[in-house]
Amino acid sequence: MAKDMMTRFELYRPADIAGALDLVDKLGSDGWLIAGGQDSLDWFKDRAKRPTAVVDLSRIESMRGMRETEDGLEIGALVTVTEIEESTLIQNFYGVLADAASRVASPQIRNVGTIGGNVCQDTRCWYYRSGLDCYRAGGSTCYADTPEAMNREHCLFGADRCVAVSPSDLAPALVVLDASMVIQSKDGERIVSAEAFFIGPDVDIERMTVIGPGEILTTIRIPNTWSGATFYFEKVADRNTWDFALVNVAAAMRVENDVIQDIRIACGGVECVPRRMTVAEDIAKGSAKDEETAKLAGGSAARGAVPLNYNHFKITLLENLVMRAIRDS
Amino acid sequence: MKDPTTFFSGSSPTEADEPQLTRCRSSRRAFIKGVIASGAVAASSAYFLSGCTPGEGPAAGSVERLISLHINGKIRRVDVLPNETLAMTLRYKLGLTGTKLACDRGECGACTVVIDGVTHYSCSTLTHTVGARSVRTIEGLQGPDGELHPIQQAFIDELGPQCGFCTPGQIMSTVALLEKNPRPTREEARRALSGNLCRCGAYDHYLNSVMRAAEVI
Amino acid sequence: MAYTLLGKNFTPPDIRGKVTGKAKFAEDFRAEGMVYCKLLLSPMPHARVSNIDVSDALAMDGVVGVLTADDVPAMEGAAQAILTNNPHYVGDPILAVAAIDETTAADALEKIRYDIEPLDFVLDPLQSLYPGGTNAQVKGNVANAGIPLQELKWTARDFASADTDQFPMTGKAVSEWSYGNLEQEFSAAAVVYDESFVTASNSHHSMEPRSAMSYWENGKCFLFGSSQSQSFMIPGLAAYIGIEPEDLVYIAEYCGGGFGSKGAPYPIMALPAHMSKKIGRPVMMRISRAEEYYLGSNRAGFQGRVKVGVARNGKVTAVDLYIVQSGGPHGGFPDFNSAAGAVSICYQPNAMQYRGIPVLTNTPPGGAQRGPGQNQIAMVMEPLLDKAARELGIDRLEIRRINAPNNDTIFGGRQRSVTSAYQTEALNKGALAFNWEQTKKRSGERNGSKVIGVGIGQAYHSAGAAGFDGLLRIAPDGRLHIHSGVGNLGTYSYAATSRIVAEVLHCKWENCVIERGDTRKHLPWNFGQFGSNTSFTMSRSNHAAAMDARQKLLEIAAAEFGGSADEYELGEETVFSKADAAKKLTYSQAAQRAIDMGGKYAGHEIPDDLHPMTRASATAIAGTGLIGVAKDNYALDGSPPALAAGFMVIELDTETGKFEILEYNGVIDCGTVIHPLGLASQVKGGAVMGIGLASTERIVYDPQNGLPANVGFHQAKPPSYLDVPSRLGSDAVDIADPQNPMGIRGMGEPVMGCAASALICAISDALGGHYFNRTPIVPDMIINAIAGREQSHKPLQVYTF
Repeated sequence: MAKDMMTRFELYRPADIAGALDLVDKLGSDGWLIAGGQDSLDWFKDRAKRPTAVVDLSRIESMRGMRETEDGLEIGALVTVTEIEESTLIQNFYGVLADAASRVASPQIRNVGTIGGNVCQDTRCWYYRSGLDCYRAGGSTCYADTPEAMNREHCLFGADRCVAVSPSDLAPALVVLDASMVIQSKDGERIVSAEAFFIGPDVDIERMTVIGPGEILTTIRIPNTWSGATFYFEKVADRNTWDFALVNVAAAMRVENDVIQDIRIACGGVECVPRRMTVAEDIAKGSAKDEETAKLAGGSAARGAVPLNYNHFKITLLENLVMRAIRDS
Repeated sequence: MKDPTTFFSGSSPTEADEPQLTRCRSSRRAFIKGVIASGAVAASSAYFLSGCTPGEGPAAGSVERLISLHINGKIRRVDVLPNETLAMTLRYKLGLTGTKLACDRGECGACTVVIDGVTHYSCSTLTHTVGARSVRTIEGLQGPDGELHPIQQAFIDELGPQCGFCTPGQIMSTVALLEKNPRPTREEARRALSGNLCRCGAYDHYLNSVMRAAEVI
Repeated sequence: MAYTLLGKNFTPPDIRGKVTGKAKFAEDFRAEGMVYCKLLLSPMPHARVSNIDVSDALAMDGVVGVLTADDVPAMEGAAQAILTNNPHYVGDPILAVAAIDETTAADALEKIRYDIEPLDFVLDPLQSLYPGGTNAQVKGNVANAGIPLQELKWTARDFASADTDQFPMTGKAVSEWSYGNLEQEFSAAAVVYDESFVTASNSHHSMEPRSAMSYWENGKCFLFGSSQSQSFMIPGLAAYIGIEPEDLVYIAEYCGGGFGSKGAPYPIMALPAHMSKKIGRPVMMRISRAEEYYLGSNRAGFQGRVKVGVARNGKVTAVDLYIVQSGGPHGGFPDFNSAAGAVSICYQPNAMQYRGIPVLTNTPPGGAQRGPGQNQIAMVMEPLLDKAARELGIDRLEIRRINAPNNDTIFGGRQRSVTSAYQTEALNKGALAFNWEQTKKRSGERNGSKVIGVGIGQAYHSAGAAGFDGLLRIAPDGRLHIHSGVGNLGTYSYAATSRIVAEVLHCKWENCVIERGDTRKHLPWNFGQFGSNTSFTMSRSNHAAAMDARQKLLEIAAAEFGGSADEYELGEETVFSKADAAKKLTYSQAAQRAIDMGGKYAGHEIPDDLHPMTRASATAIAGTGLIGVAKDNYALDGSPPALAAGFMVIELDTETGKFEILEYNGVIDCGTVIHPLGLASQVKGGAVMGIGLASTERIVYDPQNGLPANVGFHQAKPPSYLDVPSRLGSDAVDIADPQNPMGIRGMGEPVMGCAASALICAISDALGGHYFNRTPIVPDMIINAIAGREQSHKPLQVYTF
């Protein structure tokens, strides 16, 4: 039940990535990486996660800051959500990301929480967060998908023993911007597309991303593919501060002569990963940017949804948000 | 004994885990290897959080426990555990109880402090990560002779607080806002303070206080 | 009449501490050698605990003690204990461990071994009432204040007589009353509505968790707690601790929010006292947020049905109301009864029948929350009034005026009268500020996906009591010490009502000292600070003491200068001869004379009708100045009401189910306004809480294991800055009540219910009159209603999303 006070751990504060990689390599699965710590400390206080060693990345200068590159923008994984929200560069050219950032949690969380932490945060399934021994926690059951389970905030798509959803507001924005995630380990660097970065329970039921032991997300690269495009972001949550999206939508599109040339749409809160709305995109591509296209695309958004006991409202909400992304952008 | 709460109703003017388990255990994640050392040191009882294993220093490369914090313009030497939050350090080691713990989960803002001009939930900040940055708490606002900071005075003049428990946090968010944006619109103030919950619902009066403070600063 | 102090804003003495961080709440106190305790909470909603083995925990370095249910008083009936081996909800405290730090205490909890046998549990009251249904307590399923623990089941026929989705109306009730000819009124009504409804239980979410610290010194127990009330806490707390009231030193200068949950003594506060006694060291019990959600009590949820008859002219003629309350495993507060009284006074039906049952559930304990019962039922009834107005073609403001209570109002099962009531005036004042005639035309206005909804809401709570004591002292330095045992829940009413003493005695406010917050300050017996009563009750008690002091001042002057007391008058902190202003005594001089004269003047002789607590306090300060002390023996004929009206415009987005509140105006009928800013703060703060009650806050449990889904703010969802308008409107009728010496009545609770019901009505209005039968109305419900989809929950389901 309610547990309180973090268990004891050693705290390491490496000054550079090499030092951090040495530590995560040495600590293996005993170690826990924190950036802003806004999600991690809650897990520790609830005693639901009990690392014996915590590696604080916040001293690593090379993971801070943003810089323009020839083909886009590089954002250090330690850039705070507030910095994203307030960056005129991001506001002017990648507005969907700034808009998404402005809707994350609360000012204090945004001040400290990082883009890396935001995309790596764990799911908010209340059963899982209660410390129950569910599949995602290494157990052998799912409490959220039973005949009577209270699963209003859970998924419409991609259920596979686990019905949890992606809680991030930045994730859908990064997916539509076709961002790539730079992941480092002692063995070198790998780059994964934002879309491939997030994984569902069918791939690994205990993880939300491809990051494995010994790896650190260091940089997020945004190509200039969608720079200055027409964007849309909307988040619907019960409260307008410090709440998680029931459904959120991010969209980027190129519109010429009122015709949608190209478009990417992604939604959070409906699947364990930010869900690309590929059918809606196909409908919209080459179509006039008007009410009719918006309705058609929106109407396709929930195709294949499998609602749970308490979340069929998300079908309508998802359809409406995808419609708005095209109509109101 | 009889229910003492009947003192209340008797004089009220109103008309008016897993249930299968029979032996308790905690669920463990795969990454937990073995039992965590549970030794505690008989440290000074004034210390809220006691030490790691007696006689042992920190593991190689881990943080040193005795650190210097820059709090309200003073340098404070303090023994800090690796798993200690700034709110706990302030409240239980430095006697700065104006910073309140209401949720201890970074959800309400009662523990808000300003670090290098930026608001932080001190309950969700590991003290060791503060480093040499400057921390300001509600206790650091008054002048040398105890005169109120104009923001504090504005919160009094507009009857900002009700119960007062969230007030230090509301004021610290206001401090950071007005330093960055001395003439905020009411909407900007509302957004800046939106990470501070008030169950009394004194938001309107708090915003009146912020706007009044902005006029006099 | 014109007052010098009343009706004017002032700086309450406790506010400086709030803005400087120097205000000490319970968890801010420290004591030499203090240790920390943590609670072992039940993982099961109903269970039996045995074979507790604390040896491993006690063997740990730094662990200093364990307290179990065997160390604390056992409770009778359904009453809640401090610790229990028979937990009745997930989170029920089983035992506590004390250690030199909290981490060690938390570690030690994990070393405690015990056997726990799960028992059947129930979350849904109707399931418990079903034949063979589970009882939340082994010995019964029904209990409340004045209703002993008992088993009550309805018959299968009762359930079969209603559709599955309808609340059955034939089952046996434990609380009932009626008046008028119900059948006749229903048959004569132009429209009759018959609705089953559910109002969800919600948490108090006081910002300050109920932490407490305690130690023992020279046979006295020192307890630092969080409570709305002060003197009223003492008898019950002493009983929980097992000591005489005079052996308790209780310090509660500040309370970080209670909203009803800290109004009366509650068991867990006594835990550190018991632990401290057992281990001989000061004990701090810091309550976590999750623990506060378990221990901090909840507003009772309702399942019910109401049948309302309305005449063609808009008069509500008949009401048949049945409420089943889910109030946790100990009964909780009688919200169900209060709801019925509220319906009777707010709508004045010619005939009314009320039946109710408080059913026990294996959920955290129920407790009074701001407008307990009245505010839930306001959200049920007000949209029905709108429904009638629409169907009968009557303006929605007008139908409320038609039914509004006034000075002739009689209400409730006991057909009580009111001291005064001006709800029509409240409605008129609100309508004017809101520009009702113009604003109502915006109803249904479309802007893209958005639609305007306009709503009026009303609510009621009783607003005062009588018979408590006032105590004051004029010291030889001329300062006026006002002893207030009422408490400090954060409304500043302790201060506003103390100003009545200064007003009567013509004292400068700067020369007044309020003695409060600590039993060592010699406090009188006062009522608890809850139930919207303080302004009425305390102003009477303080007035009585002030009048006593006034008379003593006049007599002292007469003794000094000759003549009779009535030849003297008070002014500018002096007592002087009306005939010769040169014959005067300053209060400083008068206080010294009082000491010299002794007897009643110095408090050596005190009235016989005082409460023992007041007697002890008055006696303790006797001889230190002029003592004014008296019981409030003013007549009280009828019940003082607080009535409120709220006006709201929202813009609802039909595609997201979200809405923005564009405007809100709340008006309270609370007699004379004594503290305008404080009143505004209450009207607006109440509105914020009302918005949460109506649209975001609810408690959800998993029916399979009784686990709560809401143990953090983001899950339980009290409104944030961005969920309510940045500006709210407030006003008061400001007509004096004849049964309070200053015309004052209370006001704190209906200002929440009127906003909550205004919002429900505005949502309904935006949706063309759709009646949800359930609160809160969350985005899901709005989305589903617009899409024409079935709601996910069953109509009578409780504790559900």
